[in-house]
Amino acid sequence: MDDAKKIERKRKRFAARLKSSKGVICSDNPEPNIVLCNVGQATSFEKCDVIKMLNDLPGVELTKFVAEKGESHCYIVFNCTDSAKLFFDRYNGKERMNDVPIYMNYVEKVPNTEIVCSSKNPEGLYLIEDFITETEERAFLNLFDWVEDSSLKNRKVKHYGYEFRYGSNDVDLENPLIEKIPPECNVLWERLKGYGIDFRIPDQLTVNKYIPGQGIPSHVDRHSPFENTILSLSLGSSVVMDWKHHSGKYIPLAIQARSMLVMQGEARYDWQHGIQPRTWDPIIETRNSSGNKSEHIRVITNDTIPRDTRISLTFRKTRRGPCQCVYKTLCDSVNTNIIENEVASKLEEVHVHQVYEQIAGHFSSTRHKPWPKVVEFLKDVSPGSIVLDLGAGNGKNILRRNDILQIAGERSSGLLSECKSYTRDVSAADCLRLDLLNANLRENIADVIICIAVVHHFSNQERRMQAISTIASLLRPGGRALITVWAKDQTKSNYLCKDKDNQDTSIHSTVGVNLPIHENRTQFKHNDLLVPWKLRKMKDDRKLENQSSTTLLRYYHVFEEGELEKLCDLPELVVEKSFYEEGNWCVICKKVQ
Amino acid sequence: MKLITHNMLTSKCLKGVLTGYPLAINATNIKINEVDFNPDFISRIIPKLDWEVLWKAADSIGHSEGLPQTIEQNYDDDKEFLKKAHRVLLEVEVEEGYLICPESGRQFPITKGIPNMLLTEAEVQ
Repeated sequence: MDDAKKIERKRKRFAARLKSSKGVICSDNPEPNIVLCNVGQATSFEKCDVIKMLNDLPGVELTKFVAEKGESHCYIVFNCTDSAKLFFDRYNGKERMNDVPIYMNYVEKVPNTEIVCSSKNPEGLYLIEDFITETEERAFLNLFDWVEDSSLKNRKVKHYGYEFRYGSNDVDLENPLIEKIPPECNVLWERLKGYGIDFRIPDQLTVNKYIPGQGIPSHVDRHSPFENTILSLSLGSSVVMDWKHHSGKYIPLAIQARSMLVMQGEARYDWQHGIQPRTWDPIIETRNSSGNKSEHIRVITNDTIPRDTRISLTFRKTRRGPCQCVYKTLCDSVNTNIIENEVASKLEEVHVHQVYEQIAGHFSSTRHKPWPKVVEFLKDVSPGSIVLDLGAGNGKNILRRNDILQIAGERSSGLLSECKSYTRDVSAADCLRLDLLNANLRENIADVIICIAVVHHFSNQERRMQAISTIASLLRPGGRALITVWAKDQTKSNYLCKDKDNQDTSIHSTVGVNLPIHENRTQFKHNDLLVPWKLRKMKDDRKLENQSSTTLLRYYHVFEEGELEKLCDLPELVVEKSFYEEGNWCVICKKVQ
Repeated sequence: MKLITHNMLTSKCLKGVLTGYPLAINATNIKINEVDFNPDFISRIIPKLDWEVLWKAADSIGHSEGLPQTIEQNYDDDKEFLKKAHRVLLEVEVEEGYLICPESGRQFPITKGIPNMLLTEAEVQ
């Protein structure tokens, strides 16, 4: 009796709390709907937990389970009040979840969390259900149930024909694998032709094993390494794949086991697809539109279905050369077009030099300390040395030493005046307005050169090479240079913000070139791009305003691994050391004696 | 601009210019900015400089007084000399004025102590 009173007291307290904090109106009289007050999506309570409870109540049917995202309460809808009452009496305050009793209340209304989407699949996407029989599915599962030999953070993977390289998202055509696509797959090609699908026989297969809870981030299969058709055969479990277009369109697609997904054209080239890391999927329904009966809508219902282990076979046909598609937004071949010198200098004028002039104050206020690698590099510089800092910015890498000559060369006059005042009390430091491509300095004068985060602002290979050869000519024989550039791979730096997904969708047309605008703090997807700088103006007291007033776009060429070393491969230079540091590729090179 | 810096500047990137060195100085504002004297640094840096160019530059802006036109053999023992060299190399600063290419006559302005060595695209080799 005491227990019953306690449960009743708790139940009422939860009802009051739900009403005040969430506006959920609970009822003292039985209803077909029940709210579970202290378990929900936020506490990892899932539909399967309810199903387990129902095992003890034969005849009680669950109509709907609604767990809103981020909430620690959820709803159960029964077919009738009697069923709800049976459930309520049996479990309220008695069933435990993680050792805490679950409290319940009847409710009149259950929120509708259904999401209505377009029923139209992306152009070029074909989903053929029951593409293989259950017997064939079992045979494929046996064939690909490999030893757990390879590990990718989120899923198990194996390759045939060519190894898919995850860093560059392509294959090495010069190094095919001994293991080709198993001949058991040949049956698929004939069948696809029967469906009227026009494609070339794949030569690369990636097999992924996803256990419940695993997913794959939203992505587009890189354009240039693979042909127009990408095929995906699903085995073992259904899954919901999210399709996103850069126009904002979003389409969830329920992919059944034994189905074949064909991606061509727009779906292949212009849409991103991904799978959310969850142990369940929402049930997707197609209904008639309420307004126009002949029109269909796709609805992400409140209801969910648990995932099982899913094996997907992704078939691709490799190809060479730049992509020829007409969908430029996500195309990796768009920016590999060489930026001609004339355009390059305009691009740098508008998206490097002018931007630095405008952001000089704000930029300088965010950079104070010399970079630790620079300090380390300059530690061994002997007294009496001549050090050139090319692209010195605000002079933060000029050391407080009076036994070496430090000349700060910089193109931006705004940054130079910051630099001048910063170095005023360094006895042997001086500032110069200088262009790294045409540096009006004597040759063979520098014992040491540092060139930090500069070369990535030159927009074609010829100009980047010219920058390196300037450095080589200014160094004295035996002199050393430290050169750093921004790396395309930011996975080992603090730059990435984990919650951000890189869409890289917006393309900016400027001075005769189209360049993607980078989403800050996400991994780079292109080599040539524009990086936004949210400008905060300086107030009179030299403090920054809280709000950014304008966004300016800085041009960057982000470097692949080994690219900087290759750039420094001049007859007069020897690369002594090459390393990755906090999102930068760095080399130390020496001019030969 | 310190005179030690001037010692390294050229106009060699100009189209048609061969050496572009040394640049002539036309100074309209010179100031003396006293900094730490490090005799060891001065004696080590001198062999890396073109002394004749330094002397002529100092002379052209009226700061060569007491400065020898050529370097003595045991200059690094001569504290007085090192002090003078220190003053000319690091303390005399051209605040405003311009540098002039010896071959083409192109002028490079010096503003707030910073020489502007930038060239337009049409001017480069």
